[in-house]
Amino acid sequence: MPLEILTLKTVGDKSIGAVTVKLTGSLDTATAPELEHQLAPVLAGQIKHLVFDLAQLKFISSAGLRIFSMARKQLKERGGQASFVHLQPQIQEVFEIMKSLPGVAIFKDMAELDHYLAVRQRAHEENQ
Amino acid sequence: MTLELHATPKEVMRAVESLQEFGQAQEVSENALFGLALALEECASNIVNHALRRDARQTFRVTIQHTGSAMVIELRDRGPEFDPTLAPVIDTESSNDDRPPGGWGIQLVRRYTDEMRHTREGGENVLRLTKRLVQAGQP
Repeated sequence: MPLEILTLKTVGDKSIGAVTVKLTGSLDTATAPELEHQLAPVLAGQIKHLVFDLAQLKFISSAGLRIFSMARKQLKERGGQASFVHLQPQIQEVFEIMKSLPGVAIFKDMAELDHYLAVRQRAHEENQ
Repeated sequence: MTLELHATPKEVMRAVESLQEFGQAQEVSENALFGLALALEECASNIVNHALRRDARQTFRVTIQHTGSAMVIELRDRGPEFDPTLAPVIDTESSNDDRPPGGWGIQLVRRYTDEMRHTREGGENVLRLTKRLVQAGQP
């Protein structure tokens, strides 16, 4: 099963610097290198928050988890975060088995994520 | 079903897809099949990346059997002797953010299979993965 990667810049305040990456298909040993390649320019920028929308992700292996871990670490180094939303039950189970990504946020749906981002936005404005 | 595969990531996924088709035809549950596919991907990837060093000229073999009460996957390669069952259990409760991701694959294999057994036979590593299947009517 191939992997389709769609990168979307979140509309809104640039200071939050959020980008959403939608994955469709299978994130495995054959497709993980392409995700790593496509994330490189995104992570090289100033974004603080990377949202992985996994609604259409049917399969993930440790090769994919390594990419997420790498992205999380890079974002953490600049005070940012990786978030995951719309995990299908089997994918959620893989995450839970590994507890592989400490410090990441998993959200049930976009409403929950939007609320989280709004809270962060208010905190950012209060610190200005 | 037996597959002869070259040591490339694409061939690993060819094996995974064959397993999924085979399992669906045998009416194996989606949950069991997801776990088996993941276990096969991890073990076959280890063979490709470590035992056979991504040399596309090298081959390894995957045999898939459905016995009715279990699915059995056997992987055979001619790489250096290596027993993945000896890999340490990772403490996933550890809060070490910088813990490197090595060993995640075997962790997943252990979780999704009931038995993982390695032997060395005639110059080959032989890894056998067994997943017991829930029988219809059983709790």
